[in-house]
Amino acid sequence: MKFRYDKHNKYHRFGRTCVITAISLVVLLWVWWILSIVVQKGLDFNNSPLASPQDTFAALADLIKNGDPMEHRSLSSWVWSSLFKFLKGFVLALAVALPFGLLMGSFKTAKEFLSPWIEILRPIAPIAWAPIFVIMFQATNGSVMVVFVGIFFPLLTNIIFGVEKIDKTLVDAAKTLGASNGQIFLKVLVPSTIPYLMNGIKIGLGIGWMCIVAAELYNTTLSGIGYYVKFMIDNSSYDYAFAGIILIAVLGLLTTGVAEYLSKRISKRMGMDV
Amino acid sequence: MPEEQTLITAKEPEKKPMAEPEKKPAAKQPKERVRADRTDELYKNIPEGDTLMKIDHLRVVYKTDESETVAVDDFTLDVKKGELISIVGPSGCGKTTILRCIAGLLQPTSGKITIGDKECAGPGSDRGMVFQDFALFPWRTVRQNVEFGMEIAGVPKEERTERAMRYIRAVGLEKFADSRIHELSGGMKQRVGIARALVMHPAVILMDEPFGALDAQTRNIMQEQLTKIIQHSARTIIFVTHSVDEALFLSDRVVVLTKRPSTIYKVIDVPWKRPRDRASPEFTALRKQILNYLEVQNVMEG
Ligand SMILES: Nc1ncnc2c1ncn2[C@@H]1O[C@H](COP(=O)(O)OP(=O)(O)OP(=O)(O)O)[C@@H](O)[C@H]1O
Ligand SMILES: [Mg+2]
Repeated sequence: MKFRYDKHNKYHRFGRTCVITAISLVVLLWVWWILSIVVQKGLDFNNSPLASPQDTFAALADLIKNGDPMEHRSLSSWVWSSLFKFLKGFVLALAVALPFGLLMGSFKTAKEFLSPWIEILRPIAPIAWAPIFVIMFQATNGSVMVVFVGIFFPLLTNIIFGVEKIDKTLVDAAKTLGASNGQIFLKVLVPSTIPYLMNGIKIGLGIGWMCIVAAELYNTTLSGIGYYVKFMIDNSSYDYAFAGIILIAVLGLLTTGVAEYLSKRISKRMGMDV
Repeated sequence: MPEEQTLITAKEPEKKPMAEPEKKPAAKQPKERVRADRTDELYKNIPEGDTLMKIDHLRVVYKTDESETVAVDDFTLDVKKGELISIVGPSGCGKTTILRCIAGLLQPTSGKITIGDKECAGPGSDRGMVFQDFALFPWRTVRQNVEFGMEIAGVPKEERTERAMRYIRAVGLEKFADSRIHELSGGMKQRVGIARALVMHPAVILMDEPFGALDAQTRNIMQEQLTKIIQHSARTIIFVTHSVDEALFLSDRVVVLTKRPSTIYKVIDVPWKRPRDRASPEFTALRKQILNYLEVQNVMEG
C-alpha cells in the first residue's frame, strides 16, 4: 500500500510535524554526542566538562531514583524549591505590575512621570541584581526578587499597551448605556486588557524561569535546581550537572507551553487576537 | 413574522416609578451620569408629536495644532417625540459630529441640547446609540451584550434576562443568544446593537449609519425590520445615513445638511404610511429632489 502525504489532512500534518521533530531531536543528540567526544579527546580531559548523552541520561535515571550523589536529596526537593521561588516572584510581579500598568495606561501624567524610572531600570539584566539581592534579602528571597524583576517589566509594558489599545468605541458604547467611569474600568477596560496581560505573562514566565536558575547560582544554601547544577559542577560531577540542565529545559518548556495554551484559550474566549 | 410582532407589542411589565434624576436649575450641569433604565418614561407627559428634544445653535470647532475646522455651525433642530428623523448630507460634512454631541460624547464649542426641560451634559442612558461599527463587547455573549445597560442600571437579574431575550427574539436572534460576537455576521451584529439600545427604552435613540457596513440586501432587510419595530412601539430616533433611499424609506422627516460647516439646508416631511414602496412615483420623485439638493451642495463647493 502506498502512502500519500495530504497537506489538507490535519492528521497527516500532525504526523509530519511529529516525524520531523523526532528526527530533529535524534540529530541533536547525535551532535551532542560527537561534540562530547571531540571535547574530551581534543582537549584531552579525563573527566570532560561536556558530559556525553549516555552518561547524562544514566545520571538522570540515578537522580530520579536515588537523589543527588552528594547529599542524597530527592530530585523533587531540588525542583520544588525552585518552582516555589519562581511562583512567589511571579505573583509578586503580577501584584505590582497590574495596578501600575492600569494606572500608567489610563493616565498620561502617571505614564509620563513613571516612564523615566522604567526606561532606566528596564535595560538592566535582572541577573545583575542577584548578588545585591542575595545580600539584601538572603538567598531565597533574593532569588525571588530577581524573578520579580525579570517578570515585572514584560508584564508592565504589555498591560500598558493593552490599556492604550482599548477600543474607544467600546468605551463610548458603555457611556451611552450609562456606565460610570468606575463601571467602564471594571466592565470594559479590565476585560479588554486581559488578553494583553496573558501575553505579558507568557513572555514573563519564560524570562522568569531563566532568572530563577541564574539567581540560584549565587545561592549559598542547598536549594533549587540552579544551585544543584552549580553544586554538581563544583564537585566535578558533570554528568549529574547536565542531567539538571536537561530538567531545567524541560520545566521551562512546560511553563511556557502551559502559558501559551492558556493565553490562546483566553484570547479566544475574550473574542480577541493579540 | 407575526410572532415577532406580538413580542414587540407585548406590554412590558409595569415598573415602580424610578428615582427621577435630580432637578437642578437648567443652567447647572448635572454631574451624575444618567444611568437609569426606561428614561423614556420621564417624558411620558409630553404627547407624541410634540417637541421632545431641542438642539439649539450647535457649533463645533475642531482645533488641532495647525488648523481650526468648523465642523458644525448653527445647527438648530427640534426633534418630535415618536418620530424617526434622518440626517443626510455630503460626506464629511459633520453628521457624526452632530450625533456625538447629542450623545454627549463630544462637548460642543457652543450651543445647547435639551430633552424635555433638562439640559444634556455628558453621555447618559437617556440617549442610546447604535454605532456604525457595532461597538459590541467581544467578550460577552449576545445576551450579555443586550443586558449591559440594564446591568449598569441595576435591573435585577431575572428581569434583565427576560427583557434581553424578548428583544433578542424581536430582532430574530434567539438561536444565537449565547453565541459570541465573532460568530455573527455583520447584519446579525447590528441587530444586537439595535436590541442593546432599544431594550433600555432611552428617551432618544441615535443611529450613526447603522447599516452602512452592510451589503445592500442585508441593508434592506434591516430597514424593514426597523420599520416593523418602530411601528409597534414608537421610539424617537435620530438616524444618520448616506443613503437618501434609506432616509425616505424609514423616516418621518429628512434633514438635508449643507457642506461643511454643516447647517440645515432643508427639512423635508415624509408623510407616507409605512411600509413604503420604493418604486412608487412619489418616492422616486422625492428622492430625486433630495438628491438634487445634495448635488447643489457639491456644486457650491466646487
Ligand atoms: N477629532 C477630530 N479632529 C479634527 N477634525 C475632525 C475630527 N473629527 C472630525 N473632524 C472633521 O470634521 C468634519 C466632520 O466630520 P464627521 O465625521 O462629523 O463627518 P460625517 O458627516 O460624519 O462624515 P462621513 O459622511 O464620512 O461619516 C470632517 O471634515 C472631519 O475631518
Ligand atoms: Mg460619519
